[in-house]
Amino acid sequence: MDETVAEYIRRTVLKIPRDEIKTMLQKWGFLSEAQLQTLNFHQLKDNVSQEVVQLCEENSADIKQAAVLDIIYNHIYQNKRMWSVYQMKKSGEELEYFDITDFKKKFKERLRSALKNVTITFKEYEDNAIWIRVAWGTPHKKPNQYKPSYVVYHSQTPYVFISASVLKSTLPLLCQALIVASNYHDIREMELRSHSLNSLKDIVFKRYSQNFQTYNPKPLQGGNVEPQSADLRIVQENRSEKERIHRLNREVFGDGPQPKLEFAQYRLETMFKSDPKIDVLDKKEPFRCLVKFSSPHLLESLKSLVPAGMADAPLSPLLTCIPQKARNYFKIKDKKGFFPEGFVSP
Amino acid sequence: ENVDLQKTAFLLRKAWTLYSVTPLYRFRRARLRDYARLLSAFIAAEKQKGLAVEVGVELDIKVAMSSLPDLRGTEQDQAAILVQLSSRSRASSRNSEDKLLWSGWFCSVYGDDFSENVPESFTCLPLFLTHGAESYTAMVGSWFQKTFDCSFRRLAISPLNLSWMVAMWAGCKLDRAASAVELIFSVPHLPQSLDISYAIHPEDAKALWDTVQKTPGEITQEEVDVFMDCLYSHFYRHFKIHLSAAKLVKVSTVVASAHCDGIIKILHSQYLSGVLMLLTELAISQIQ
Repeated sequence: MDETVAEYIRRTVLKIPRDEIKTMLQKWGFLSEAQLQTLNFHQLKDNVSQEVVQLCEENSADIKQAAVLDIIYNHIYQNKRMWSVYQMKKSGEELEYFDITDFKKKFKERLRSALKNVTITFKEYEDNAIWIRVAWGTPHKKPNQYKPSYVVYHSQTPYVFISASVLKSTLPLLCQALIVASNYHDIREMELRSHSLNSLKDIVFKRYSQNFQTYNPKPLQGGNVEPQSADLRIVQENRSEKERIHRLNREVFGDGPQPKLEFAQYRLETMFKSDPKIDVLDKKEPFRCLVKFSSPHLLESLKSLVPAGMADAPLSPLLTCIPQKARNYFKIKDKKGFFPEGFVSP
Repeated sequence: ENVDLQKTAFLLRKAWTLYSVTPLYRFRRARLRDYARLLSAFIAAEKQKGLAVEVGVELDIKVAMSSLPDLRGTEQDQAAILVQLSSRSRASSRNSEDKLLWSGWFCSVYGDDFSENVPESFTCLPLFLTHGAESYTAMVGSWFQKTFDCSFRRLAISPLNLSWMVAMWAGCKLDRAASAVELIFSVPHLPQSLDISYAIHPEDAKALWDTVQKTPGEITQEEVDVFMDCLYSHFYRHFKIHLSAAKLVKVSTVVASAHCDGIIKILHSQYLSGVLMLLTELAISQIQ
């Protein structure tokens, strides 16, 4: 067995948490159940990975099998990577039958015609997701297995999720191979990025609960509402305001859990308009700002702003449009001719 | 600006943790060498007691103390004192360079109002800045406390003071290209925490400040408030979020950046004096 392959397998196994190693090796299926029984998982991970490498040696593992193990690891720990979303465009309306064999063949051919040294690996999953791993080399060097690109393609959709290699020059080639293989004619990057691959899928496949008008005549229940006090008027107002906020929030965000995004970024190029009482800046040029919101769970966080008194209801459409517009990067300019309560984002 | 650029290069582009220090009793500048030796012995003793910093590696800690006559506001200010801890590993050869482990410096920039009212036997250097491991800071602070009967306190920077800083520094004119004027807010008490970074193009921020500031060289609280209100209302216009209700945690400009936990980074020597003057003022008000 090639020692670079051995080293690669060793390092991949080292990444896996101890409790997960056996399951992952079973999923991999390259080592027999009998071989797996011989492994002692209760020793130092260094030793476990060495033992795994020895078994792989017995079975003469090559880079193709090692790459499959890497896909399996990255499929389970997909949230460690940053994913971008790309949308492909077809020229016509033709409904074509998707042939996976044809796809793989065309993809490999396109890449290999441009670059001799690549390692290309496919794995299909039950949810119709095709995972592709590409390790990139040069005409004179073998592929770098430690900086691969990962692509997740749902063949029934025009969307591709890419966790690009740090070798940035490989991205155009990857995109080209994708459209050739899938019979599309163009691909563009959407302004949507996150670590949570599933949330990205939720957003573009519209799998989250969307806002819809609900008639909710029941008064708000639960701890939010102040207990009854002697002055009935005060409690009533408070209650109805809280109910109003709650209802508006539901209208905007829907009932179910929000897709998980970590940030949203807005490049503002709108005019600065102050309170007319204050005699300040009144330039003809835009007031250029870059605003970035970050949170472990951004949409849930934004949803809680109005009830917390930090924002006024209804919340700004710039924030609430994130899932519908399927983007978390925006460029905001003034709408021409309108008083700037309206914004456009190209 | 009588500051020698070479001598102050060490303090640029480093994150300094801020403390206020009460006046030092019977501190003699002429005895800096002695103090260095005493501090060195103190640190060695602390390590022997088992309060070692580095585990395993045997380190000789060398202490250097020096006076920085140019680092002050006026002649009334005491010149700054720099304390440096270096190590020379016993294992390495005689020719090896000392490795700088920790630096701390005491200073007073335009702190005359305070020092005027303090008896002769006390030396006023109300601002203390450190860079390096917390354990060394504790040892050095402990020795100074014992020796000069002073006390140290972390200098937190309130949102009010942070907004002063950002307003002041946004207005600074610089010869070279400026980086964005950035304000970082955190929204506490939400089920999922939220951080907001609001970065303004430096030219636009300066243009705004220039229309707000009425008298050059003078800044009033009202002007700072107007500047901040403008930023808040521009933000509200877009996002309907009351940024003024969020906690201002950090401000960053091409001149310097400051964090509410009392951490400062001075990026440009051009406004060094102004930054230190503001910090001295904060330290003094914390002491009083």
